[in-house]
Amino acid sequence: MTTYIARRLLTVIPTLLGVLLAVFLMVRLAPGDPAQLLAGEFATPETLADIRQRFGLDQPWHVQLGLYAVNVLRGDLGQSVRTRKPVTYELSQYFPNTLRLTLGAMLVALLIGIPAGIIAAIRPGTVFDLLAMLGALIGVSMPVFWFGLMAILIFSVQLGWFPVAGTGTLWHLVLPAITLGTGTAAILARMTRSAMLEVLSQDYIRTARAKGLTGRVVVFKHALRNALIPVVTITGLQFGGLLEGAVITETVFAWPGIGQLLVGSILARDYPVVQGAVLLIAVAFILINLVVDLLYGAIDPRIRYD
Amino acid sequence: MRFKLLAALALGLGLSVAFAQTRTLIIAQGTDPTSLDAPLATDSPSATVASHVVETLFYYTPDGKIVPQLVERYSFSPDRKVLTLTLRKGIKFHDGTELNAEAVKFNLERLVSQELASSFAFLLRGRVSAIETPDPLTVRLRMPEPFAPVLAHLTHSSTAIQSPAAIRRLGAGYRDNPVGTGPYKFDRWQKGQFVELVRNDDYWGKKPAIERLRFLAVPEATTRMALVETGQAHVAVRVPPQDVQRLSARPEINVVTTPSVRTIFLYFNQTKKPFDDVRVRKAINHAINKEEIVRFVLGGFGRASDAPISPGIFGYTKIGSYEYNPNLARELLAQAGYNAQNPLRFTLSSPNGRYLQDIRVAEAIQSQLRAVGVQAQIQTLEWGAYLAASNQPRERNEFQVAMLGWGTVTGDADYGLFGLFHTSQQAPNGFNRGFYSNPRLDRILEQARVATNPQARQQLYRSAMQIIYNDAPWVFLHAEQQVTAIRREVQGFIVHPTERLIATEASFRTSAER
Repeated sequence: MTTYIARRLLTVIPTLLGVLLAVFLMVRLAPGDPAQLLAGEFATPETLADIRQRFGLDQPWHVQLGLYAVNVLRGDLGQSVRTRKPVTYELSQYFPNTLRLTLGAMLVALLIGIPAGIIAAIRPGTVFDLLAMLGALIGVSMPVFWFGLMAILIFSVQLGWFPVAGTGTLWHLVLPAITLGTGTAAILARMTRSAMLEVLSQDYIRTARAKGLTGRVVVFKHALRNALIPVVTITGLQFGGLLEGAVITETVFAWPGIGQLLVGSILARDYPVVQGAVLLIAVAFILINLVVDLLYGAIDPRIRYD
Repeated sequence: MRFKLLAALALGLGLSVAFAQTRTLIIAQGTDPTSLDAPLATDSPSATVASHVVETLFYYTPDGKIVPQLVERYSFSPDRKVLTLTLRKGIKFHDGTELNAEAVKFNLERLVSQELASSFAFLLRGRVSAIETPDPLTVRLRMPEPFAPVLAHLTHSSTAIQSPAAIRRLGAGYRDNPVGTGPYKFDRWQKGQFVELVRNDDYWGKKPAIERLRFLAVPEATTRMALVETGQAHVAVRVPPQDVQRLSARPEINVVTTPSVRTIFLYFNQTKKPFDDVRVRKAINHAINKEEIVRFVLGGFGRASDAPISPGIFGYTKIGSYEYNPNLARELLAQAGYNAQNPLRFTLSSPNGRYLQDIRVAEAIQSQLRAVGVQAQIQTLEWGAYLAASNQPRERNEFQVAMLGWGTVTGDADYGLFGLFHTSQQAPNGFNRGFYSNPRLDRILEQARVATNPQARQQLYRSAMQIIYNDAPWVFLHAEQQVTAIRREVQGFIVHPTERLIATEASFRTSAER
């Protein structure tokens, strides 16, 4: 187990280097000049030169990349072009909010998705099944942006139940978490349903029923545990996806997360922040995958890591 | 049962959030400030917040006058090369240190310094050669040549006088903790969410009525409007044209339109054929129906321009507009050799999302040009790329006809004309991106910079704009209007033409007044 984790952690290094290189090249190949954006529409050439020099933008790109890599290893992600503060500081201001939003959305997805999937699977073809799967279809197809605005107009403006935007209390989290979590809930519902259906048709379930166990024990103790393995995989992948999906939700609800920071930084060509944010998301994604792999073992003792 | 309880709880808490009575004025802006250090505050959300905390030597009033602010008196030497400022006595920064001549010198020198790399350094760099402080309340600015717009430049938010002690003490942290002399003190900044300011009870001038200000960062327009509709914010900027009617219909909301000093224009790249031909430039001017664009594309939230700068700016006079006359446009094009057999074709560059309805305006122009047989193809680039492309030097500049906007935020025509039309200012050395050049205009603009008498300057700018009109290097399209939603319980809130929001004179109405 320990060697497995160590091995997995080692593979993280080349992955991160790859991400670093890709992001570095991407932001530089995109058109637009950060100095120009920072200086505004009508900046003088001397100002542009000052800014380029200050942020090392006048260096050849391989020099910039080399410097950047060395600094990242030292834990220094550089300085934001826009706010002129360390990137690590900027990330520390926004990332915890994204984490809260993502966890809230995951909770919504799990609380809705898995029960809906189970109900649909144990009563296939009934009105429950139909409703759950219709709900899932709607949930998957609804644009997050539109859903978020509708939620604001109905639940905040009309009904006055929840605050429109911002953070502060748990109530601020409700609408953004539902908005972000609905799509994932829908995917989990479908996944749970098909996994459950498959498991429920297995011989050992028939055996369990035949020896007179109650429906509840069969479903929750025997079937669910096995059906959960693919669901955990999908949940892990979706969790990573939520981190990215947060970009839109954060904009709609003025949620001060990494998505808002990322969008603002891309528009302002704030290279160091864009690189840092993507790097951070990549690390989070990799760690989540590791956790998911480890969870397999906890759910299914047949899976071993040596 | 449990569900009912939960719902009731949700309802109760939700309501208490929505209707919490607070004496904090809440203003929803589009973005979070990037920096509250005045010379580094380049965007209007940053400048708006900073302007409440720090003050400038002079103030540009919303109706276009330049009045002393931190300065008590000022005078120019007879040759206009020395400006002597006498500071108001007894003004203190929020950290308790005194506002004195040294502090002014420190701030102005910091603005132009290389290591700060402020994009506004050009306001004073090269124009002020030395700053002297003969006594604690006197500052002398020495200029290599007379520079008439100097007072206007000293109203610019980047020239604000901030506490030198705080800047030295906090270093890079200063931009999160501004210390000035303003009517509000910085309180806290919740990154990405809001900045909160608290009233400065020791303010030297008229104390504001409202105790706290909170500036929210809300990028999505619909969300901003929802905040004002539910009373969770009192002011929201940039009301989308399609929401104006719905919001105006609500009795508790006032939708206010305010002019902006920003003028939107098309410029012709005069190094490119056929835009070196004045007949072609005039033809396009005659072919564009600005009134129609303002009415239908901007939903009435603009003003068709009759000069390269907006009203309210010193030096503005109504120069007139090329009348909308498609027949004349066709005639001029025919004289220049373009007709149905040989139509004029060009690429019209337009930003997308930078200015109010920008790409829609470009599309309207495209269809109006089609009516006179001109085929314009619209090209749009991401904003950063757009700016970089328009700022290429002559040999490499690909733009033929392009849309840009210019805010004359100093309120003085020099800022709006010299940098945009003088030959020495051709890209990439300045803002003259169409490579326009007229020696007679150059001379007039230079004279207007050094002229001593305001009437004479006014007259010079009038002739300058007349020349510009005749040469038609631009199509002056329109001045934007700022559309702001303000709840009726707030009075005295100012939307400044320089796109800053000012709450220092605002107050809450009592319910009886409402």
